[in-house]
Amino acid sequence: MSPSPFVFPCGARLVNIETRMKSLPVDRARALAAFRLGDASFYWLTRICALVVLCILGGIILSLMIGAWPAIQTFGFDFLVTRRWAPQLEPTPVLGALGPIYGTLVTSALAMLVAVPVGIGIAIFLSELCPPALRRPVGIAIELLAGIPSIIYGMWGFFVLAPFMTDHVQPLFIDLFDGVPVLGAIFAGPPSYLSLFNASLVLAIMVLPFITAISRDVFMSVPPMLKESAYGLGCTTWEVVRNVVIPYTRTGVIGGIMLALGRALGETMAVTFIIGNSFQISGSIFAPGTTISAAIASEFAEASGVHQSALILLGLLLFVLTFIVLASARLMLARLERKAGA
Amino acid sequence: MTDLALMTAPSPAPVATRAKIETKNLDFYYGATRALNNISLQLAPNTVTAFIGPSGCGKSTLLRVFNRMYDLYPGQRAEGEVLLDGKNILVPGLDLNLLRARIGMVFQKPTPFPMTIYENIAFGIKLYENLSRSELDGRVEHALRGAALWNEVKDKLDASGLSLSGGQQQRLCIARTVAIQPEVILFDEPCSALDPISTAKVEELLDELKAKYTIAIVTHNMQQAARVSEFTAFMYLGELVEFAQTTRIFTAPEKRQTQDYITGRFG
Repeated sequence: MSPSPFVFPCGARLVNIETRMKSLPVDRARALAAFRLGDASFYWLTRICALVVLCILGGIILSLMIGAWPAIQTFGFDFLVTRRWAPQLEPTPVLGALGPIYGTLVTSALAMLVAVPVGIGIAIFLSELCPPALRRPVGIAIELLAGIPSIIYGMWGFFVLAPFMTDHVQPLFIDLFDGVPVLGAIFAGPPSYLSLFNASLVLAIMVLPFITAISRDVFMSVPPMLKESAYGLGCTTWEVVRNVVIPYTRTGVIGGIMLALGRALGETMAVTFIIGNSFQISGSIFAPGTTISAAIASEFAEASGVHQSALILLGLLLFVLTFIVLASARLMLARLERKAGA
Repeated sequence: MTDLALMTAPSPAPVATRAKIETKNLDFYYGATRALNNISLQLAPNTVTAFIGPSGCGKSTLLRVFNRMYDLYPGQRAEGEVLLDGKNILVPGLDLNLLRARIGMVFQKPTPFPMTIYENIAFGIKLYENLSRSELDGRVEHALRGAALWNEVKDKLDASGLSLSGGQQQRLCIARTVAIQPEVILFDEPCSALDPISTAKVEELLDELKAKYTIAIVTHNMQQAARVSEFTAFMYLGELVEFAQTTRIFTAPEKRQTQDYITGRFG
């Protein structure tokens, strides 16, 4: 090549660009017009998707209300406070939701009591303490736990966990709290395969992955510099986690807990297997019971008339219950945020 | 002070004043990558020592060796000796929490904890001392005054530390560090996220702090190094190129590389 290989092509390109610049405004307008059509259709597409969700939600609420109407007319407010569940009674059956509501709240609360500390503990271990070689296998195991179908949890709970708990763990608690005023009643015998306690434990295992996976992800999102500055003051790992990591990620952790609670409230299959489907309220967590979803699942096939309508009303109640729980969680969160003044 | 002026790399001359921190043949590795190569230097007590050099030259790494922050991360290791008051802090089994209480650190970006301004300061104190509320109040006020922040926050101690401006947050972090009464304070580019006014305030503060503490500061701002420090270390590619009194580094550097860097001729 000649000693100045760049001169000629460079000059040519310069001219080229100049001509292009001149024709630019027209091209750009046309290009933008093409985009405008795409933009508009994209806008409508996404908007319709969002509206469809609202329609589905409204439709479900509406159909639940229509289905539940006969039961609402027959039982009224008493439905909420009646403990008796006698669908076969003549001439009119007596049906009350107190048993299933009680069972739902107790199993969910117990499950959260077990799953929240354990789940957050695992998350802390995975994000702060775990040797890197172990981090992936344990993390994957947790995610797999979330993928197991609930019917399998039900069978495992029925054939493995429940017998073990009933033979070895429940008697321990019963003996331990025998004669203690309030706890004695809560842990009253006899041990039972089909019980609120066993159902709660299965629920706890089922919701654990939600709490762990979300907590771990938000713990990992804490800026290293923030953690280092706490370590820099001489904090131990525990102090860093308690005072910096958890307060910093509070919103995310509570979100994970709420997701888990939502699942625990509505979980059906596994619970139906091992809760005993008894509408009695006996105060002891070792007694059989039922939850709203378990009651619907086990009776819906044979129900008709007011009985069926009552089951739909139970469904509506579960809907309302879940809504109240989630709404109060949001309120609590907003309160916390205001207090932190962030 | 004339003796101190003799402290030049790579073989530091013996000094009259005992060094607060002294490194001897310090190497540092990120896994298999060597990030520091045979660093030997001394930080004199109650002075400000600035570390300058292009990004990736190892100055922040060196700072993180002084309080063994690297220990948090597997695969990072230091070899050689780092003496704090004559005692090697690289020995295994050393109480890192106590070490970090003696050697405080302020970071590139303000890192207030997610709690109130008051708690941000009190938190560190409460780790080590069991004080009554009034004593604690006194210590918090003292620390905030020490960081020239008291007048700006005294009416809103219960507000979140995150509600402060960037410069105030950084002074809060300095106050937090000062509150536990360390002996050495490490500053890792403390002004890189601050506006000029906040920077000026932090620099003033450095000048006051050195009466009580030994200070090491990493900075990319050469003027800042010249303004605040007594000694300056110029590092390049993990090596300590030149270490001398700041006035000497900036007026008559011995090494060509130093000269080029401070005049902006190489990056």
